Amino acid sequence: MAEFTASVYQNEFLPDGGTDVNAIVTVSCTGAGSVSSGSGGGTAGEIIIVDTSGSMGPQTMAAAKQAAATAVGEIVDGVWFAVIAGSDRAMLAYPQVSAGPGMVQANAETRAEAQNAVARFVGSGGTAMSTWLDLAGQLFSSIEGLTQRHAILLTDGENREDSGKLDRAIQKATGYFQCDCRGAGTDWQVEELRRIAQALLGTVDIIPSPDQMVAQFQQMMQASMARGVADAQLRVWAPQGSQVLFVRQVAPTVEDLTARRTAVNPLTGSYPTGAWSDESRDYHVAVRVAAKAIGQEQLAARVQLAIGDDVLAQALVKATWSNDSELTAKIDKQVAHYTGQTELAAMIQEGLAAKASGDEATATTKLGRAVQLAAATGNDEATSKLRKVVDVDNEAEGTVRLKRTVAKADEMALDTASTKTTRIKK
Amino acid sequence: MNCPHCAEPLADGAAFCEACGKPVGGAAPAAAAAPVDVSQEASPFEMTAATRGPGARAAATSGPRPCFQCGATVGPDGYCESCGTKQPTERDHFREQPVPWVAGVCDRGIRHSRNEDAMALHATAQGGDRAVLVVLDGVSNTDDSHLASLAGAKAARDVLLTPLPAGMGTDESRNSAVKRVFSDSVQAAQAAIVALTPEGSTKPPSATYVVGVLEGTRLYVANIGDSRAYWLPDGQPGVQLSVDDSVAQAQIAAGMDRKAAEEGPQGHAITRWLGIDAPDLVPHLTETVVTGPGWVLVCSDGLWNYASEPSLLVEQVTAAATTDPMALAVALVAFANGRGGQDNITAALARVEAAPTEAAPADPAAGQNAATDQQAEGEGQADG
Repeated sequence: MAEFTASVYQNEFLPDGGTDVNAIVTVSCTGAGSVSSGSGGGTAGEIIIVDTSGSMGPQTMAAAKQAAATAVGEIVDGVWFAVIAGSDRAMLAYPQVSAGPGMVQANAETRAEAQNAVARFVGSGGTAMSTWLDLAGQLFSSIEGLTQRHAILLTDGENREDSGKLDRAIQKATGYFQCDCRGAGTDWQVEELRRIAQALLGTVDIIPSPDQMVAQFQQMMQASMARGVADAQLRVWAPQGSQVLFVRQVAPTVEDLTARRTAVNPLTGSYPTGAWSDESRDYHVAVRVAAKAIGQEQLAARVQLAIGDDVLAQALVKATWSNDSELTAKIDKQVAHYTGQTELAAMIQEGLAAKASGDEATATTKLGRAVQLAAATGNDEATSKLRKVVDVDNEAEGTVRLKRTVAKADEMALDTASTKTTRIKK
Repeated sequence: MNCPHCAEPLADGAAFCEACGKPVGGAAPAAAAAPVDVSQEASPFEMTAATRGPGARAAATSGPRPCFQCGATVGPDGYCESCGTKQPTERDHFREQPVPWVAGVCDRGIRHSRNEDAMALHATAQGGDRAVLVVLDGVSNTDDSHLASLAGAKAARDVLLTPLPAGMGTDESRNSAVKRVFSDSVQAAQAAIVALTPEGSTKPPSATYVVGVLEGTRLYVANIGDSRAYWLPDGQPGVQLSVDDSVAQAQIAAGMDRKAAEEGPQGHAITRWLGIDAPDLVPHLTETVVTGPGWVLVCSDGLWNYASEPSLLVEQVTAAATTDPMALAVALVAFANGRGGQDNITAALARVEAAPTEAAPADPAAGQNAATDQQAEGEGQADG
């Protein structure tokens, strides 16, 4: 059985009249096992969605087939799975059924059959991602008792549908299945896939060249197979009369969960976190409470990890009012670090958006600030990706110049990696 | 079942509504909407062996106690599930009411990190019969004074469980016997404090000492340090019966204005205390005849800091408008906390009702009390 622990990092001391409490809560899971152990196995479902539109070049298509076949090979015995070929409509490539359950349980035979089906993919038609997500949802719902639903989506182009269709499909899938998204080449939209991945609690990344595809798919599927804990929720209790300013996951990636609250009771909100493997995630919780007198102590938040109605771990976020400025002036290192990393993600995204729209002054300022923050918070990955897009004059002050020629893939890699954070160096 | 106040659904067995926070247990909506009468509130604190005096009734309630601030359920983590207030430990806030007419509250206050005040009570069941109110205020910059003061308070009280000597022939012999009992009480408190002094302590624990013993209409007050005892007759000016051992008191005696002295830089410096480094252990002792109705108040400076003059205390007593000693103690502690709660606060009270057989004289309490107090105070100072 998986075990969860939660620990809190904060400066609980507030100055006289202070109201805002910030804390980083680290939630760690051990003993998650895998999808096939314990409660997993027969209750986990995997769907591989491969873009088979006409835009897929022969090289990309060949790599995609190989990658999908590799991913199928990683599916653990007993896990329900299916493969979707997506173009301007979604085709159930495997299992080839037209009624009844749309998924089969993995074993040597079904995996081989699925790999044969993948090998027959031919590129044609357009790109209508909403139909892909809708079919995935229908397939998952054709199997009773699935507690864990995960999909991998690969595309090489942008969605060609009336605006709103994809959003409605994302909305339907939200909270029902998780989805990791990958873009092949540089003709797809980072913003589009990020929208899907963020809503469906997955990751987004670029696969710039076909030869990296197999490794990426293998890694994604292995990660999914290691998630032995289905659907955990982060719960945040805050006192009567207080206001939860935000709840963000800040590691391994920045995801704002604030708007995803569902009420457990008037004082407690639940935020989805999806499935867990043996891993550790950090959350930044900010609560505004009514100021109390110097010397008073109160609880500003209970942050809990729950599966269903079972609370498995709890961390307490406190507030103590003090007139000792030595105590109240300190900002917790973790809070400062992740505040910087969150701003870094925003600066990269806003900077690239400004650059794309031709606003070079804003792009230079924002990306300059990003360079400064990446250096200050020790995010080496962001630093090296930023240096492919800008020339750095002064890292500490964040003065940069936009490079005249930038490889599109480098810019997209910077964009997709913008939400990845590094942990504080102890 | 739904909340009678806001109609939201209630969890099984809920005592408070999760939605509106109002109590729902049993109370009819109309009754619950009426202004809260604190005297009807059950003490949220169970008395434990640590605070229950001999003869005190055992706690009648069981189950998790409600929040000290808002009355909602307290979580297993020690914080309120509604308002988040940290619940005080038993040592930081405790209440005792050994009999209906005697009660006290001992509270950490707001500014201090722990409660170094201590209280110990004892009383017999009949109103006006016999009550012992002990308050020790641990000196805040000494080691473990919160432990020492509580041990000292209990030891001091335990010496006073039996009635004071009476029928000893002359007043003089009786007075000296009474004096000896209070001296024993001080010695017992002192021994308890010394026993808890850490070896080699450079800041040995120390505490003030004040005891009020009411026997019928006789009220004895013994004190060392600046914790106080007052007699506060209903609707009359009250009197302070204890004599502070403080720099302020010395300044007042030398002619300085009381307010200026008590609020001056040395106002809170005490000149005598209990502890291994105590200068001497002879208490001021006063004897007063009290004619009810009124209150015996024994308190620490955490309360009288905000109402030193007896008349200011009378104002608070009148404002509380209750004859329940627990309700009044809670109100007085809330008053001090409302003014800032700069120090630990203890208020121990005994309610004295008018003697049923005696017809009240024209000007009963004030004149009589003042007279005996003068005399008693003289005696006390001679002791010091």
